Amino acid sequence: MSLTGSYKLAVTNQPLNLPHAPPQQGPRISTGAGGAKAGGVSRVFITGVGVVSSIGLGKDEFFRSLETGRSGISPVESFDASGLGRQYAGEVKQFRAKDHLTQAELRRTGRCSAMTLAAARMAIGDAHVGPEHLKGGRTAVVLGTTMGEASIIADLDHRWIHRGPQAVKRALLPKYGSTLLPIHVARAIGAQGMVLTLPAACAAGNYAIGFGADLIRAGRADVVICGAAEIVQELQYSGFVRLAAMAQDRCQPFDLNRQGLILGEGAGVLVLESEAHAVRRGARAQAEVGGYGLSCDAYHITRPHPEAAGSIVAMRAAIARSGLTPSEVDFVNAHGTGTRANDTAEATVMNDVFGERRVPISSVKGMIGHCMGAASALEAIACVMTIETGIYPPTLGYETPDPECDVELVANVARAGRSDVVLNNSLAFGGYNAVTCFARPGVLPEPPICDPREEEGVLAQAS
Amino acid sequence: MKPRAVTGLGVVSAVGVGKESFFLALSEAAPLAKAPQRPIESFDATNYPNAQSTVYEVPGFDPTKYLGDKGLRTLDRLTKLLVVAARLAMHDSGFKRDGVYVQSSPECVGICCSNAYGSLEAITELDRVAQLEDARYINPAKFPNTVSNSASGYASIWEDLRALNVSVSDGNCGALDAVACADIYLETRRADALLVGGAEAMSEALYLAFRRLGVIGKGTRLGEGTRLGEGSALLVLEPLEHARARKASVRAEVIGYGTAFHGPEGEEQLIFASETAMESAIRTAIADAGVEAADICVVASSVSGIKAHDDAEVAAISRVLGDVPIAAPKSVLGETLGAGGAMGMAAALAWFGGALPSPIVAGRAPREVRTVLVTSIGYYGNASAVVMRAPRA
Repeated sequence: MSLTGSYKLAVTNQPLNLPHAPPQQGPRISTGAGGAKAGGVSRVFITGVGVVSSIGLGKDEFFRSLETGRSGISPVESFDASGLGRQYAGEVKQFRAKDHLTQAELRRTGRCSAMTLAAARMAIGDAHVGPEHLKGGRTAVVLGTTMGEASIIADLDHRWIHRGPQAVKRALLPKYGSTLLPIHVARAIGAQGMVLTLPAACAAGNYAIGFGADLIRAGRADVVICGAAEIVQELQYSGFVRLAAMAQDRCQPFDLNRQGLILGEGAGVLVLESEAHAVRRGARAQAEVGGYGLSCDAYHITRPHPEAAGSIVAMRAAIARSGLTPSEVDFVNAHGTGTRANDTAEATVMNDVFGERRVPISSVKGMIGHCMGAASALEAIACVMTIETGIYPPTLGYETPDPECDVELVANVARAGRSDVVLNNSLAFGGYNAVTCFARPGVLPEPPICDPREEEGVLAQAS
Repeated sequence: MKPRAVTGLGVVSAVGVGKESFFLALSEAAPLAKAPQRPIESFDATNYPNAQSTVYEVPGFDPTKYLGDKGLRTLDRLTKLLVVAARLAMHDSGFKRDGVYVQSSPECVGICCSNAYGSLEAITELDRVAQLEDARYINPAKFPNTVSNSASGYASIWEDLRALNVSVSDGNCGALDAVACADIYLETRRADALLVGGAEAMSEALYLAFRRLGVIGKGTRLGEGTRLGEGSALLVLEPLEHARARKASVRAEVIGYGTAFHGPEGEEQLIFASETAMESAIRTAIADAGVEAADICVVASSVSGIKAHDDAEVAAISRVLGDVPIAAPKSVLGETLGAGGAMGMAAALAWFGGALPSPIVAGRAPREVRTVLVTSIGYYGNASAVVMRAPRA
């Protein structure tokens, strides 16, 4: 295969020229070269993205903030954290649900669903996809989260604990449940296909995007609204403090003196379309969804595998299932939580998969914190930005190199570089690993995804 | 979908642990099961008089019998139910013997498991500590249990399932949706075999929520409210050729899947039983399976005693399948939510094995069962359906 286009490999530590450069115009999708073969597997394109984040609402503001390295970390306001010895989070303070939802929707939703719905509307607007293309059984909604409507269950619990079972508010009960995120979105757009939540903790976004692409490739949907959402809530915040995983006031991924993660929140939603559907309506492709890799550590409920065995399998699978080799990967959007165990494991993966080749890597968690379920969805959108603009977002807070994290980090300031093929890495609670490949349209050789393991003889040959 | 072989079952339910007691209970001629009269074990029910007749727990659930007594201290009930089911499924399928892989390997086996509400037990316990004492006293070893995919994560650790671990949440339709996920993961060769199904655990919070919603049954007759259940059912699914190659016993084939969503018209409405979605899911599943409506011998429905939902489900089934016999496994097993669809699939396995479908709420139980439609109607306008058939000789 050949990588199309002539992109100058301009790896530099110079700050970029700001303000925001206009994004390159991606190609209108045509049925020309690289089209789905008759009876073959369809390509899947990202045609729109929507963002609710602590560094901006909507794609434009989010992209600008990623380029300039703006931090969304600030003192917690949604609850009193003073007793916990920690007080920072990446709360989305500028989000007003009423700016995005109808009155009836406001009454039906909790904060997590409201953010999801807002991001979905932004993504649909960004895709310029009319309601006539979304209504009906060929549109599915697949979303990830860790806890879903955590503020609703907290409200219910607090009433019960302080005022007894009769105070558990009836009207509030049906609003709880991670199941609801796609339900609200499907209702809003008239989608009548699959509605599914994949609660894959901190890798949930990658699980949802990967499965969403699968639904299209399997011919079960033409359009999939996918992504993930999460909110910062007191119980989870306290839990991370008690796990000794929370940093004092900033997240410093890959730094020698990193103290842990900072919780964040938000929602990232993407519009995925089959090639045929995108062509029919003349959509513009922002990126192509390549292959993705999954694995489970089966090692420890919260800690990553010390040799990152599962994570390595997932990254290799994502590359192979995209029909690529590691030498063709331009950039890795790291999980990079800022915990000792995660960042070391991830460095191990990078060195194992890419060997001597120092592929640039960066974590946006220094800016937006660890948005748990929403993390890999927001980071997937950051990958779209990298593909569209050729800019690698910076890893904030990097001061002292850690010999155990010997990676080609995009430290503190954004860089320009080649951005044909980008990986989105995620490692989650429960030993869940997921890596998704995104590519500039026209770059991937074949629509995914064969079975790369077959030749390697990894699948058991039972006889 | 391509036919997928069902080569194993692990089930932990209100009628006992293991497939033998499950098959027996699903085949007894009694049209409706008697309500349990045991004291509730999973929570202190002193504040809820008469609760025991409407709560279908796994009676005397003792995970140490299956898992030993090490490492269970910080696990919640949901995790224990799921891990026991996973262990039973891995052994029933022949992948493991005496706890050790004898066929395939950890890298090639995964799990795709549905759950509706996570561990409410863990969330409420930690909330209690935080609210009544201090958030600084939250037990960090129990905090992981509050995360939705915790039980599934533990199942991977206990049973060494590394190919993939995918948690699914779609209310009481989730376990059938897990089949759709598994089909795609098998088709794209991400695993040789997958444990597919769901789990849900009884807790005071779950019971209180359903009680406050006014859907808990007062009596023991169907249509008079739901009986809340718990448990876990996992079916081992693999490509037919893979099952044949390893000379596994094929108990059934899963051959079709369909799902649909249709929200309510009323702006203020949230809970909604969609006959339209149910009908669409059934039609899609049957078309996907390549069978005719007349081929369906019996339906393993999700009829659970909530009138609006039961009516919509039965109406949709009747519209597509005419006067097909409809069974209601939930009247024996209780409403197991995230595990519900998997319990229905497990019931189908009992019927393929020769058990007379029971309890029947419409029509008459067929003598021979070759093809079963399993249906789930969700609380929000969602619905899913799966078609299974008896193994070919």
